Amino acid sequence: MERTEIIEKIKTTISDCFPDMEVSSLEEDSVINTETSIDSMGFVLIICKLEALFDIRIPERQWQKLSTLGDVADAIEKRLPKA
Amino acid sequence: MRCNDFDDLLKMKAESLPDHAALRYGDKSWTYRELYEAVCAKAKDYAASGKTCLGVLADGSADCVISLFGAAKAGLQLVMLDASLPDEAYPMLLAYTDVDILWGDPDLCEELAPYLTKGVENGAGNVLFFTSGTTSRSKAVCLTQYSLCQSAWNGGSLLPLAEEDTLLNLLPLGHVFGFVCGLMWGLFCGACVALGRGPRRYTEDCLFYQPTAVSVVPLLLGFLLKARALNPGLKLILIGAGDCPDPILKAAKMTGARVSFGYGLTETSSGVALSLGDDPYAMTVCPDDTVTLADDGEILIRVPTCVMKGYYKRPDDTAAVLKDGVLSTGDLGRFDENGLLHITGRKKDILVLSDGTKIYLPEYEGQLAAALGNPELAVALKDGRPVLIVHEEASDTDPAERRTALLKQLSPLMKALPRGQQITDVTVTAAALPRTATGKIKRYELSSLL
Repeated sequence: MERTEIIEKIKTTISDCFPDMEVSSLEEDSVINTETSIDSMGFVLIICKLEALFDIRIPERQWQKLSTLGDVADAIEKRLPKA
Repeated sequence: MRCNDFDDLLKMKAESLPDHAALRYGDKSWTYRELYEAVCAKAKDYAASGKTCLGVLADGSADCVISLFGAAKAGLQLVMLDASLPDEAYPMLLAYTDVDILWGDPDLCEELAPYLTKGVENGAGNVLFFTSGTTSRSKAVCLTQYSLCQSAWNGGSLLPLAEEDTLLNLLPLGHVFGFVCGLMWGLFCGACVALGRGPRRYTEDCLFYQPTAVSVVPLLLGFLLKARALNPGLKLILIGAGDCPDPILKAAKMTGARVSFGYGLTETSSGVALSLGDDPYAMTVCPDDTVTLADDGEILIRVPTCVMKGYYKRPDDTAAVLKDGVLSTGDLGRFDENGLLHITGRKKDILVLSDGTKIYLPEYEGQLAAALGNPELAVALKDGRPVLIVHEEASDTDPAERRTALLKQLSPLMKALPRGQQITDVTVTAAALPRTATGKIKRYELSSLL
């Protein structure tokens, strides 16, 4: 799966979880904590939905390290089956 | 009936309620007899290990609960660790608290093995919890099995659960509210404690376990309410560890469950007062606690059964708050005409977040000031989340660009903090920060700058 597709799916998931949030301006280096209104519980919700969407599991220990959209995309990409 | 330690409690329940459900975790369950047998078996293993101090990277599972009770029975000191801290936080915490053996995620335990210590002498009975501060200066509060058991009695005598109740614990066991009000309270009352299956199952656990009672922090409660994840059979919601926004409180009441609000501190092994009536802010002081108010309204507590031994290896910090058995809480309160306690504010420079964690402002602001090279800053809460206000002389720089630059400068520091404590926005102001005559920030005026 292309990186751009992963990023788009992340943004779509965020939008599904938070319909009032403007996601079109989010980029790879967007910091989730500061550039969105997503709190820690909202972050849990998004990660769970992404895990289900991509059929992967990101260890909870790693969630703390996911600051930017790019970090989330890295975590997903790393766990996708290699083509 | 009071219990002296965990073994006393579990043994008593195993004898009086042997076939009664004690613990559930997923599809597995343990009666009180089975739970005690499992704890005894684990205790043998820990006794044979020769170790003295178990660091518990608590994940809230049944194995976690059985292991910590087993280690306690074997005479090990327990150190309740938050399993979600940044990795770099642990070596210092392990060294500070004399951990010589770990329970938790096998990979993390293996990574931390080089940092294990030689252990501790005379640690039996001790249970250490960290105050919810920024990790670099987290103080370990030295409680005991005795104080935690007394606390379970103390709160349970005001707000008892029936043996037929199922108490769902979704809270971290590394936080004293979760440990006492999510686990000990249920076991003390002879109820069944259902252990949450982790964050991925937050929205499913109520429907899975069908609890009659649940202990939550405000952030989690808001999340569950929004997800409509509370089961219809829920009779009691106990909210603690932080102020609860009115909309969440209202929504909780509309579920039809009784809503009770608890006030407590790590230093008093959790509960000091509970609301028992319609007003969640009007609280009855627990029977073992004697609460008085200082001249400035600070809440002072004498509770010999539940009070901490002190801050671990921090005698000066202990002496600063605990004098002649009276704990100065740093919280402000008042008694109403019915003798009920109301919390009116905080004297200490502490922000309590809706997830129950705390930010110690002088320390945190010191770290931020060092990162930015600017001491003229202050942290405030906006919509329940930490934001930073920075005073800089007026310039031509685009405010949005300056904000982005400051956030980037803070990024290395933020990465070392739990997500809920990270700065979520920066406001740059040309106005001087409001201060008192002695130079202290007037925090109640900060909101006008946001």
